[in-house]
Amino acid sequence: MLEKAGTAGQEKQKQDHLKELHAAILTLRAKRERLFAETAALKDLKDKLDQGLPLEEEETDDFMQLEQFLLKSRLMQLKDLQTVYHLIGGYNLIESKQGKSVCVSFRTAFEGMYLETYNLEMDLRRTVQISRHNIPPCVPLERLAKEHLQADFKAFLEILSLHLNALAGRKQQVLLIKELIGTVEIIERNQLCNFLVFMCKIQEETEAAVLCTLEYGDLTQCLPTRVTIESENKTLAESPQWKKNQVLLMESPVHSALLTMRKVGSIV
Amino acid sequence: MDEQARAILQRVIRKIPNKKLQTALRAWDHLSSEQLESLDYAQPKWLFLENLISRCEENRLSLKDVTKLEMAYYIDNPSKGTWHAYQLFQAEGDAVSVNFTQFREQLKAHLKDVVRHVSVRTKKLEDGAVWIRIAWGDNFSKPNHLKPTYVVHYLQTSYVFVLNLMSKHKPFLYQALLLSTRHVSIKEAQLSSRSLTAMRDLLMRQYQQVFPTNQERTLKERNAPPSHPSIEKEHAECAERRHQMACEAFGDGVLPKLETAVYKLETKYRGNSNNTLNDKDELFRGVVMFSSSNLLESFRHCVSAGMAEGPVTPLLSSITQKGRNSFVITDKVPGAASQTPAHKA
Repeated sequence: MLEKAGTAGQEKQKQDHLKELHAAILTLRAKRERLFAETAALKDLKDKLDQGLPLEEEETDDFMQLEQFLLKSRLMQLKDLQTVYHLIGGYNLIESKQGKSVCVSFRTAFEGMYLETYNLEMDLRRTVQISRHNIPPCVPLERLAKEHLQADFKAFLEILSLHLNALAGRKQQVLLIKELIGTVEIIERNQLCNFLVFMCKIQEETEAAVLCTLEYGDLTQCLPTRVTIESENKTLAESPQWKKNQVLLMESPVHSALLTMRKVGSIV
Repeated sequence: MDEQARAILQRVIRKIPNKKLQTALRAWDHLSSEQLESLDYAQPKWLFLENLISRCEENRLSLKDVTKLEMAYYIDNPSKGTWHAYQLFQAEGDAVSVNFTQFREQLKAHLKDVVRHVSVRTKKLEDGAVWIRIAWGDNFSKPNHLKPTYVVHYLQTSYVFVLNLMSKHKPFLYQALLLSTRHVSIKEAQLSSRSLTAMRDLLMRQYQQVFPTNQERTLKERNAPPSHPSIEKEHAECAERRHQMACEAFGDGVLPKLETAVYKLETKYRGNSNNTLNDKDELFRGVVMFSSSNLLESFRHCVSAGMAEGPVTPLLSSITQKGRNSFVITDKVPGAASQTPAHKA
């Protein structure tokens, strides 16, 4: 008896649930029809505008109101963006894990060309800590984080961005040497691209060559801090032309310096 | 050629498959082309070896030359033996400006300082990897070339990979590495594998990591099984979310080929039945080991197929995020240090 009452109860529950679902379907269908009608009307309006057709009176009113709304929302969006950029110093920051962590993208560029993008994900729960990244292991990330991350977030992003951009720039310069000046032979280079040794030929037939060593003491810069010129021909290395070349290598990116040297005939 | 040289040559030749013998010997560049032509590569290895040894003796090749061949073999086959990863900490100011020549000279000098008889050979590859072969002796005996240690280090990074290091030689290697790379301390990185490339790719993040972006990027699942279009429509969003989660935890595309992950448990037993294990204050020690031909790929598939619940537990995602495959799990005691958060049974 009790069992039968129990199952009857269950049956009633099922029926009620079924009724609810049916009602939900009807409401959703009605909503769908309404949305279809609205989008159709908007689409008509847009088509008319695109084709430059004249609008009817009520459509013009709708249009003015719509435009006002659109402008207002765009303004609010831009203002928000402005505040955000001001806070994060112009870096591309994305929230993830429901606000528990933040992901920053660093874009690198050299001489107007975009190079790699690096990402850094930071955990914000207790203190700001780096959870993962794809920054090359030769960049001293731990040291930079230790020095700047807790004290000044923006400064950390700034200095990391400088390091990454300079690394990308130095790497690109070596690539350009290989591409633009095939006669220069690169003897030694490293992952951080802060130590570069290459050999330039002076004349076509002879064995005369000059060995240039470039050391980049400042990792946030694309230019070397020390340039050493060596050659078997001591007088050549000491000549005023090569003194000028030494200065050129200190003051301009390697590939441009080498191109200039080739133009004036210092190297082939 | 002395005993050791012959033994090493025999070992290396045995390991190289017949098809690759000729290229390996040519790359070695210690035999003339006539000598190379005169060898019959289809012979059984023991016969081939005898002929090879006589050619080597014609050229008066020494132990040093043979070790070069052995090193080339290991460089071409970085999946032999079990490699262990170490990490250097606390770089000094001039660590980033150490170049290859300085590193090599310092390493050799420091090893020779502490171990009277040691033989060190280094080679720098195109990709920046520095391979080091160390044959250890001691104060009285000459270096044993039959049990060399191989070390691979990428300059200006903090990672070192080691093969075949005996514990008695550890302190010497540690000290020499610290002094030549200008760091203060070195620790085991809790990552070991047969594949050096997998470990390197994992630690130096040379695989495609996936970060959350605000672009509407639909990660297309490769090789998806065929299914009914309505089911697909309903599940598309779910599947995409799972796929994104899986790729964020483990990476996209081809993943480093790790084979094992080991979790040592040092936790208390927590069951919901009434047996006696529950009341014990002692730790329930156990070891959980995952093994697969491609562990990270398997985990990623588990998550994207819905077999493992999301969000991905940090126990698994730590493999890629922290770059290790050996963990010790302890109970989280307030105030005490623990390796990873305790997992409720």
